[in-house]
Amino acid sequence: MSAVREAEVARTPVRLPAARRRFADREGTLAWLFLMPSVVYILVLVGVPFVLAIGFALSDVTAGDPSYDYVGLRNFRRIFDDPVFWRSLGNTFIFTGVSMVLIVVLGKVLANIMIANFKGKWIVRFLVLLPWTTPVTLSSIAWLWMLDSIYSPIDWVLRQVGLLGKPGDLLGSGSNMYWLGEPGLAMASVITVHVWRLTPLAAVIMMAGLMAIPRDLEEAARVDGAGYWRRMFEVTIPLVLPVAAVAALFGTIFTFTDMAVVDVLTNGGPNNATQVLTSWAFFRGIDGGDVGQGAAIALFLFPILLAAAIAILRAVRRMEVG
Amino acid sequence: MPERATAHTRRDLLRLTGAAALGAALAGPLAGCASEEDSGPGGPTAGDDSGKPVETFTEPSKKLSGDLKILLWSHFVPSHDTWFDTFVKDWGSKVGVNVQVDHVDQAQITTRIASEIQAGQGHDLIQFIAPLSQFEPSVLDMKDVTEEANKRWGQQLELCRLSSFNPATGKFFAYAPGWVPDPGNFRKSLWEPVGFPNGPSTWDELLQGGAEIKKSKGVQMGLGMSQEIDSNMVLRALMWSFGASIQDENSKVVINSPETVAAVEFMTKLFKQTMTNEVFSWNAASNNQGLVAGKLSYVVNSISAYRTAQGTNPDVAEDTLFVPALRGPKGAHAAQHVLYNWIVPKHAANPDAAKEFLLHYTANFASATYASKLYDFCAWDKLTPKRADWLANDPFGSKPADKLKVLTNAVEWSSNIGYPGPSNTAVGEVFNTFIIPNMFARAARGEVSPQQAVADAEKQINPIFAKWRAQGLVAG
Repeated sequence: MSAVREAEVARTPVRLPAARRRFADREGTLAWLFLMPSVVYILVLVGVPFVLAIGFALSDVTAGDPSYDYVGLRNFRRIFDDPVFWRSLGNTFIFTGVSMVLIVVLGKVLANIMIANFKGKWIVRFLVLLPWTTPVTLSSIAWLWMLDSIYSPIDWVLRQVGLLGKPGDLLGSGSNMYWLGEPGLAMASVITVHVWRLTPLAAVIMMAGLMAIPRDLEEAARVDGAGYWRRMFEVTIPLVLPVAAVAALFGTIFTFTDMAVVDVLTNGGPNNATQVLTSWAFFRGIDGGDVGQGAAIALFLFPILLAAAIAILRAVRRMEVG
Repeated sequence: MPERATAHTRRDLLRLTGAAALGAALAGPLAGCASEEDSGPGGPTAGDDSGKPVETFTEPSKKLSGDLKILLWSHFVPSHDTWFDTFVKDWGSKVGVNVQVDHVDQAQITTRIASEIQAGQGHDLIQFIAPLSQFEPSVLDMKDVTEEANKRWGQQLELCRLSSFNPATGKFFAYAPGWVPDPGNFRKSLWEPVGFPNGPSTWDELLQGGAEIKKSKGVQMGLGMSQEIDSNMVLRALMWSFGASIQDENSKVVINSPETVAAVEFMTKLFKQTMTNEVFSWNAASNNQGLVAGKLSYVVNSISAYRTAQGTNPDVAEDTLFVPALRGPKGAHAAQHVLYNWIVPKHAANPDAAKEFLLHYTANFASATYASKLYDFCAWDKLTPKRADWLANDPFGSKPADKLKVLTNAVEWSSNIGYPGPSNTAVGEVFNTFIIPNMFARAARGEVSPQQAVADAEKQINPIFAKWRAQGLVAG
């Protein structure tokens, strides 16, 4: 379409019936109309369950008896007396903290690789994205096989390269590492799977941030004699920091609220070493039948997630201002 | 905005979206393949079906109609489900009921029941492989079905009654028509050279022979101490054989006893001399995997692992024999491996059809036993008159043919999970929060002394019993 024709179209008034014209002109109404699907979605799928969780936490509702009796803070007092709850809370922070740091660092590295120009770049991008697109339960089962106490292919590789299986080997003389049978290794395994799964998301977010950096800034730094690492730490990282914060906070939320990885890999074991709030809430509330106590445990996620959400919004705001 | 950034954003977005879509498209079929390949243990089919039971049909006591929705587990022996689905449809067509059957993984069933009860709608009849006492307030009393079954076929096994009846309320929270024994599985080629050609008969012999096998052959035993179902079963068996238990017959918590400490001390010794850290990562498939691969000298499991080995590793299957519950200082006990509980939720739309079907199913339990390749045992011995013959001469190709004969009197050494009390709600929560496996594991790993491990377990168990007692679901 030519520029002249475009200008003519723009000048021609659209003839709408009066009622429709009035409706179409009412921006406030339209704004609510467009927002409504999101508002309804949030109210129904987030708001209602949240209010329900608060209600359950203050009740004696069980899996077998949905009738509601108010019991005040009794469920909270009981979970405070439960050593497994405190262990789960600690584990949740460890998993989330360590995962977040690794997700951000590895996400940045991957993002750098993904924006670089090299042959086969699209294959690499595809492979990088696979963990994120694979359903979490499916990928966790794949990891369960990888970390199996008898058949682990990781152990096989370690034995083949001489790191495991014979006296004097670096990782011991046992035939297997028992990844999910040792508390420390089980924790490391769960963290690894979280990081493997969430790093692609962080990488894509940071890739968008990296590509938004004006090229002239980097070129100016290069002309001024800045080397790769100096450009990285004094130009690139400060500019992608708000985006990295968003990636970190998404990672935090996804790690904090996930129980699929723990459920499939360890069921919270060995000896609750990988138990997290979500899994403990499930075991207590559904398998154990005490819905009230399960809800009280799950509610401990709320203040942390609220803080994370506020941080996300503030980071996004900073980006907009910037 | 610079040219480079804009161009990248659009094209990259499209390409990334395409890659993501392709990845998701690939993931779907891969998931499908994974589930199709995992057909579960099967083993051989019967060479001669002449011994197959003839099914019976009795007219329902009242006219039935409408729909009947049934939820049950995907059986460890898949041939059972093939039989069951046809069996229930045939019954439905005879009595004028439209039956819908949903099989799901056993790990999903309690979650599903909880959500259906909260929603007040769902299946009319639900089966699970362990006691469902926690759902008692929301299910129909199955006293009428149980009493009718007792009237028709004699007294129900005590093991099954204790796993479906709550003495505190006098209610049958479930109907328990069947169960599965949990014998010891041992490799003859490993146990014969260490002086036990017929396998161990006591816990002390298990320690002695298992230690020798590990030392001489490097093959460990597999008794789980992990947060899963098989560990829960075998460790309770050990406790009972040492005279220990979580509760007494009146549902009073008695776990903190010298007997429990002795059981924990024994397990610590057994672990150090016969096992590896593998047992702390045990899951429901570990018995099967380890036995079939020939990596374990002894496990405690139903015959499903053996049936799998018959199909996938016949040499190991031939080498695998069975022993009854091992004798300890205070007796020989094994937990039931599976205890079938059928419940009818209060919201069920067709409870009459559900209860009539249960009686029809029970009347034909011999077919269930046969279709499950002798995995399922009936709560009324009278209904499986040929079971002893099948076990003595396995129609599914055991070598020697009388390999399973040891299961003939399995009920004598099998106990419900609340033994010596009922399988009440508190016992269920203790079971599902894995307090017992963790008690043993902490001591075995040397994290705390056996005394401390038992005392800590008691601290966790007492509030659970107090809570359910306050709700009137636990006696005492």
